[in-house]
Amino acid sequence: MIKKYKHSIVLDHLDLTIKEGSIFGLLGPNGAGKTTLVSILNYLVPKDFGEVKILGYDSDKNEKEIKSCSSLVPQSYAFYPTLSAYENLEFFGALYGLTGKVLHTKIDYCLEMTSLETYRDTKTETFSGGLKRRLNIAIGLLNSPKILYLDEPTVGIDPQSRSYILNVIKNINQTEGTTIVYTSHYMEEIEYLCDDIAILDQGKIVFHETKETINAHSNIAKIYLSDTSMQEVNLQSNYDALVDTFYNIKQKSLHVKEIELPKNNLENIFLSITKKELRD
Amino acid sequence: MFYYILKKEFLLILRNLHALIVLFVMPTVFIIIMSLALQNTYANKYDVKLSVLLSSEKTSPALESFVQTLNTNTFFEFTLAQIAPVVDEALYHQKYDFVLTLSNDFTEKLGKSSDVSMALFSRSDISYQQVAFLKQFLSAKLSENVIKNLLEVQGKAQNALNFDEIISHTYVLKDKNTTTVTSVQHSVPSWLIFSMFFILIPISNTFINEKNFGTIDKIRSINVSLSKIIMGKFIPYFVMNQLQVFCMILVGMYLIPLLNGDALVIHGSIFLLMLISCVVSIAAISFALFIATLSNSSEMATILGGTSNIILAALGGIMVPKVVMPKFMQDVSEVSPMSWALDCFLDIIVKGGNFGDIEFNVMKLLLFSLLFFTLACLMLNYRRN
Repeated sequence: MIKKYKHSIVLDHLDLTIKEGSIFGLLGPNGAGKTTLVSILNYLVPKDFGEVKILGYDSDKNEKEIKSCSSLVPQSYAFYPTLSAYENLEFFGALYGLTGKVLHTKIDYCLEMTSLETYRDTKTETFSGGLKRRLNIAIGLLNSPKILYLDEPTVGIDPQSRSYILNVIKNINQTEGTTIVYTSHYMEEIEYLCDDIAILDQGKIVFHETKETINAHSNIAKIYLSDTSMQEVNLQSNYDALVDTFYNIKQKSLHVKEIELPKNNLENIFLSITKKELRD
Repeated sequence: MFYYILKKEFLLILRNLHALIVLFVMPTVFIIIMSLALQNTYANKYDVKLSVLLSSEKTSPALESFVQTLNTNTFFEFTLAQIAPVVDEALYHQKYDFVLTLSNDFTEKLGKSSDVSMALFSRSDISYQQVAFLKQFLSAKLSENVIKNLLEVQGKAQNALNFDEIISHTYVLKDKNTTTVTSVQHSVPSWLIFSMFFILIPISNTFINEKNFGTIDKIRSINVSLSKIIMGKFIPYFVMNQLQVFCMILVGMYLIPLLNGDALVIHGSIFLLMLISCVVSIAAISFALFIATLSNSSEMATILGGTSNIILAALGGIMVPKVVMPKFMQDVSEVSPMSWALDCFLDIIVKGGNFGDIEFNVMKLLLFSLLFFTLACLMLNYRRN
């Protein structure tokens, strides 16, 4: 996919596959193109070139089908502050085509999923940041989406609310089988939540691995020996294996010059790929 | 679906206190103030007379009788003083509007000869028309006095002198009913139109909030047609405009008379009144949508929309009736849609006109609506991409 704004290329031959039913985390510095990508996938911005297939549907031909099975939770509080939580859910539910008993049952379910039952009749302008984020998610769940796009859904809230929201998202994925596309700046959130992680930088996917692969690499320590050789050791292995490694080194009359501990946690990967220069 | 779209928009309007004040309280207050303030002007009644200090060194029963005759009018109040006043003092400290000094021989020649002289002084804020009117009034009364004396000498009846009573005046309306134009008939449509155009305040606030909060993006990501979204906005504001019309007409008909003002009387067809209120509403909402799409913030919309509304109102004869404008300003006022709307309302309410009388202005208002609605859509599309 290619997307240009005037003379700058925002998405540059982007090629990406997201596994159905997964929680996909999209990381990237400011201006990398994360929100543009999410906007294109939700028909808010047209792409310039390329092909997008969502659940087998071609985005150019099946807008209606794709919209009906996906939902966007934008970064901003996309609801009306002078309406109550229930009135907001009623309005958006109606836009999704829900009516009568089905609408009200669905609203109750969304309020329960996000623990907003006690705030249902409260005007949302009085909500805290965490409650507002939860209502944003509740609105996103109204159409029982197969794909839920969450664009930085934990910005500006306290750690307790963040933890609660992450658990809600995990719960949605596990109970409903919803594919989650999650963009964030917070590495620890992505590490905790996502099982498929990509880094977008300057409009390109520069890293895309499963969490299992990243974890596997992040447990290997390097031992530099006095004869200039190097041995790798898996820190996840059992105690006896580690003792054996050092015993063998001693048996060869070598000594350890340096041990390099694993740096392959997500933050190190991110910074090593995207470099440390400020982006805005 | 549409029920909840309308419900949402109505709740947003009804919970916006500032908007309700602008839409309902502001025009009510304006209608009350302007109807009562201009009541006498429209009815040609004068509660406050211009004061004239009439100074004469000599006095006589004939002069006193003449002053009594002068005081039978509706416009001036004459006070006779036998000393020569200091003119500045009389005008600026004793608050007389005019000082009239009579020649020494005035008393002797009164009623016998027109060969008398008098000097008239007035404050600088007295208009030329008022001076001219007083001069004409005095000359008429002097002539009348001479003729009266002549008739007395000849022994003829004096009722022949009531020239004022032999000339009657009646406003003629298109529906042939005879009635006078009242201030309330001008104030109600004027301030009603003004407040209808102020629908742009709640429209632009809602629209800009939706844009800034990302709500509009959320809505666009859902399978809902643009026409439903637009109609979901258009209908509630249209209903609010019609409520304004209904309420302001009630204010004119029932509230103003309670405050000793004239009651609003509608001479034309109610159907045509409803038609023109619908057309004005469509024009006001289209203009408001254009301002809302053009603005980046509520402040910008309020300044841009509020200022343009006030200019259109000033030009369109809302604040100053077009009849008192000079010819070139009356021509300029033709560019304001509020002027077209006001002409339509006045044609129906005051003149009892028919569709043919408002047809041209209705067309202009519909073209205005089409233009600004198209511009709003283009601007929305431009901003989206």
